[in-house]
Amino acid sequence: MNLIELLDAAADRWPQKPALIEDSTIVSYVALAEKINLFAEKLKSLQLPSGARVGLCFPNSVNYVALTYALWKNSFTVVPVPTECPPEELFEIATTMELSAILSEKPLAQSESLAPEIFVTRFALEKPADNHGLNIAFIRFTSGTTNARKGVVLTHETIHARVLAANKAFQISEADTVIWCLPMAHHFLITIVLYLNVGATVVLARYVTARPFLEATNKFRGTILYASPFHFSLLARDHSAPQIESVRLAVSTTCALLQDVAEQFFKRFGKPLLPALGVIELGLVALNSKDPLRRWNSVGKPIADFQVKILSPDENGVGEIAVAGPGIFDAYAAPWQSHETILRDGWFVTGDLGRFDADGFLFLLSRKTAVINLAGRKVFPEEIEAVLNRHPAVAESRVFGRAHPHLGEVVEAEIVLAGAANGFEDLPAFCHEHLAAFKIPARFHVVDALPRTPVTGKIRRNPAVV
Amino acid sequence: MMGQGEIETELLAFLRREIFAPETNLTPETNLIAAGFDSMSLVRLLLFIETHYGLWIPESEITNATLLNVRALAATVARLLHEK
Repeated sequence: MNLIELLDAAADRWPQKPALIEDSTIVSYVALAEKINLFAEKLKSLQLPSGARVGLCFPNSVNYVALTYALWKNSFTVVPVPTECPPEELFEIATTMELSAILSEKPLAQSESLAPEIFVTRFALEKPADNHGLNIAFIRFTSGTTNARKGVVLTHETIHARVLAANKAFQISEADTVIWCLPMAHHFLITIVLYLNVGATVVLARYVTARPFLEATNKFRGTILYASPFHFSLLARDHSAPQIESVRLAVSTTCALLQDVAEQFFKRFGKPLLPALGVIELGLVALNSKDPLRRWNSVGKPIADFQVKILSPDENGVGEIAVAGPGIFDAYAAPWQSHETILRDGWFVTGDLGRFDADGFLFLLSRKTAVINLAGRKVFPEEIEAVLNRHPAVAESRVFGRAHPHLGEVVEAEIVLAGAANGFEDLPAFCHEHLAAFKIPARFHVVDALPRTPVTGKIRRNPAVV
Repeated sequence: MMGQGEIETELLAFLRREIFAPETNLTPETNLIAAGFDSMSLVRLLLFIETHYGLWIPESEITNATLLNVRALAATVARLLHEK
């Protein structure tokens, strides 16, 4: 199968219904399908082989959506590249993911114009990327250390399976209007693809503050809000009059909800925030639609077709969370590892610690890995340490997440200086040159030595405290 | 007490250094959101202000008027510091 077939079917069924609304532009399903066809023809002129991997470096936009489907129409693999990546990171993704090209809204070095506001940068590969015979639609690049698995590979069939599974929980239909503000480069499959599969309307609300977001919700009679706790915290503290009567689902995802935000949001709007658990390897695993008010810190029960179990639970029932279900990822891309080699008897072990309560509600407690979650963006300490350690004033470094009352967690760094105590003032600017902005530590602490494990001498990761 | 002008200079330096692309000609009057300031930029800005001034800007103060430009932002920070 190919996911473009689902979009074409939606365009046949709801031709005049708005698919996407961006500022004052309303794009109907049939207009979206036409735009996709137009882009697909342009992309064909690149003469890339079937399965070629193409990076997509665009902000949220109609073009982002249309290009994704146009790439699929040509049987290319979409690799989202966040727009916040500095050129160095962008080209590293291109190399690691064996991209044949990157499409971008802004020109890059050596890019050519493909269409208005669409540039293409081509890369000469010695041989095309090996997709191991899979019908790959999508690879989500995940950064990490040289030892880490990079790139979660998803086929068209896998994405279709997880979209169907997720909608058993969301029950989204053509009657729904989604007010959208998360970056598509990080969220697209069980969201945008799902919405466009069922004939819903997606409003691209590119807003930073609460008031315009509220106005868009009421102007377009939004029924679904899908955002991060940080977005909801801004809405919860808005003091204006408008309510959001039309909203039937306000889903909080990407990182743990804070009690204060959950309570304030309900107080302000009379609607509960529904915590959800989405994992890139798995799709939507759980959604707390049953008891979000009392159990605001639970991601709820596993959604239909998913099974969740706790491995080797301790006396409190806490252990590592393992999941089985539809739409589990197909492979890691670099180095290539098929999911059969990673799953344990069909179960994916998440690296998150959690427990069930007596009523079967799942609670996430902490991670076994050192990944930091800054307002929904995953930050890998080793990647930042590698950059810090390249700075001449730094001998070695340790990056960790510190608990934060408003954001849940923030990135901080300890550094051991290479020599005299000067010359490291430009570390933030140095980081900005080499890393996406959200990865830059908010604080740098100069220390004499890093905490190490007694036996192996490795940098101590947990507990990440100073 | 730190003056608004000084805060403005520091915020401008931070935004130029860590948020906006080098080619952005950011001035105290540049409309931040129109120049591409997004919600992740906001998270970074709030953390900078917290680290640098010991002040967490309450969510209720995060409005389009506050984020209009660096001048308006500096005025809000100066006022909140004064109220502290």
